[in-house]
Amino acid sequence: MTSADISVPGRVAERASRGLWRDAFTRLMHNGPALVGLALIAIFVLAAALAPVIAPYGPLEGSLANRLKGPSPTHWFGTDLQGRDEFSRILYGAQISLQVGVVAVLMGLAMGGTIGALAGSFGGKVDAVLMRFVDVLLSIPGILLAIGIVAWLGRGLPQIMFAVAATTTPLFARLLRGSLLGLREADFVIAARSLGASRWRILFRHMLPNALTPLIVAATLALATAIIDVAGLGFLGLGPPDPRTAEWGTMLTDSTRFLRQAPYLLLFPGGAIVLTAIGFNLLGDGLRESLDPRLKR
Amino acid sequence: MALLSVQDLVVRFRTQEGTVHAVNGVSFDLDAGETLGLVGESGCGKSVTNLAIMRLLPRPAGYIDGGKVLFEGNDLVAMEESELRALRGREVAMIFQDPMTSLNPVLTIEEQMVETIRAHRHVSRDQARDRAIELLSRVGIPHPETRLNSYPHQFSGGMRQRVMIAMALALEPKLLIADEPTTALDVTIQAQVLELLRALTTELETSVILITHDLGVVAGMTQRINVMYAGFIVETGSTTEIFEQPHHPYTVGLLHSIPRLDAREAGPLIPIEGSPPDQRQAPVGCPFAPRCAWRIERCWTVNPPLAPVEAISSPPVLSGPRATHRAACHNQPTAEEADAGRPLRPGFMPAPPPAGFSAADVEEAPGVAAYAGEEAP
Repeated sequence: MTSADISVPGRVAERASRGLWRDAFTRLMHNGPALVGLALIAIFVLAAALAPVIAPYGPLEGSLANRLKGPSPTHWFGTDLQGRDEFSRILYGAQISLQVGVVAVLMGLAMGGTIGALAGSFGGKVDAVLMRFVDVLLSIPGILLAIGIVAWLGRGLPQIMFAVAATTTPLFARLLRGSLLGLREADFVIAARSLGASRWRILFRHMLPNALTPLIVAATLALATAIIDVAGLGFLGLGPPDPRTAEWGTMLTDSTRFLRQAPYLLLFPGGAIVLTAIGFNLLGDGLRESLDPRLKR
Repeated sequence: MALLSVQDLVVRFRTQEGTVHAVNGVSFDLDAGETLGLVGESGCGKSVTNLAIMRLLPRPAGYIDGGKVLFEGNDLVAMEESELRALRGREVAMIFQDPMTSLNPVLTIEEQMVETIRAHRHVSRDQARDRAIELLSRVGIPHPETRLNSYPHQFSGGMRQRVMIAMALALEPKLLIADEPTTALDVTIQAQVLELLRALTTELETSVILITHDLGVVAGMTQRINVMYAGFIVETGSTTEIFEQPHHPYTVGLLHSIPRLDAREAGPLIPIEGSPPDQRQAPVGCPFAPRCAWRIERCWTVNPPLAPVEAISSPPVLSGPRATHRAACHNQPTAEEADAGRPLRPGFMPAPPPAGFSAADVEEAPGVAAYAGEEAP
């Protein structure tokens, strides 16, 4: 922008009303793949929220007489081995995946964010100790760590959330620490210090907001992984304690025994997992591009 | 008493390759309302000196290894972080080189200015906002009320530097350190920003330390100049004295390596041969010796102290308009030599490094001998 813009009053008002977030939002709305991702997530969220309204049957409702029926006008996705409507169970399953995924990522953000913020702003010994702890977490494969935690704490939704959160923690911790270390010597941070800003003010007002955008992107991408991890735990028999609960991973496990008779039982829950994961991945990539315009092709 | 008195300041950097001797015992005084230029090439320690004065050295690598920085009699080097914080911005403020990166990109100008004002003054948000508007219009930002809600990326470089000046002067500090304030700006904008800086600091009676590698910038802005080389002050004096009668070969070299419109005869530019010394080694002798056409044997082994260029009976004056012209040189160029930019004494050759100096210790600049020894035209 040139100084000529400044002298035009009309332009001033228009430009001044636009902030960084607004600019990013505008760019996001012009990003095709991100919109596809957003649409997938919208469908997923709507399915979860409106499951009791739009599901033709209850998640546990069905009779053995109806078992393993293929897709039909009355049962769009067919019925499972207990005669329950697969479509309804997928809708209700979205509730669990969304709930566990979002809470797990938020917990991971809180834990990883705290570790990263402490390490990045204090540095020195604090940094060394915390980062070695993170390295230990990182050295254990995610799903193995989650299995270990569920095995340790017992089955249950809160335990699953915590287990998945623990697998995302190292990612957030490293990301935030890295950004903060870079920002510590940033010109505007030194400028703020030269004007007498306090340590906490610099951390919360100057450094964290500038470190936030990569975290938002990482959290969106982590949601995709979290949903796959939740399904993975379910598939391995570490899902919700009540085996009847409609959960995508558990539904997949159940279907494997009837792979020949009812392949659609594998297709629909599997498809649901893949589509939501793709949705979050596309949105995450789109956010990354719109929050950092330099990445734009 | 001087407003600021830097005494024997030593700054070191711990790096993987060893200790960098960034500032090696720098002393200077600054009076209230005085404008001092700090001149030297990149890496000579001018920015580090000022970061050390503000105690803003990059931690944990950079540290002050000795000396005092007395501001109104209080030693900033020994001060607690909390006391320093109260001082920064209110008593001493700083303007940085790159206006594109020294404003926080995610906060509006209003948030940044109001925050600075309220960090030091007990005023309401509205009062701080009014003050910010007043400051922005003083530094020549049109429509300050609307521009206050803008983000830094909506300003041009020159405008951002004006905002930085407004923020730095918001609390009317007694001392302003401007670190290459115009280097990142277009030449046309440079003059405007310098003029603004001069007008405001004169009006507020702020002392200024202006750091620059551009002699053209200090010429019109400062009353006094410290010339720095390899972490030492090699010459100090009033701006007129430094320009008219430089007494240190490095100053002579600096003056001859910039084009001047007012040169009596348009002689060719004379570059300073070689490059600054590796500051990972503790300095032995005069740091400029390997690049100096005037060097004598003693220059290799004894680092000359800063001494008055003319014999005086009383102790040297350290600050103010009557400050004594001093230079750190064993073999000072005469006025004619300073004009010519090279030694004119018949048969004079720069002294070779004495025996016992290994090649690793000294990298002699190749072109030095070529300039010396030539007959005067």
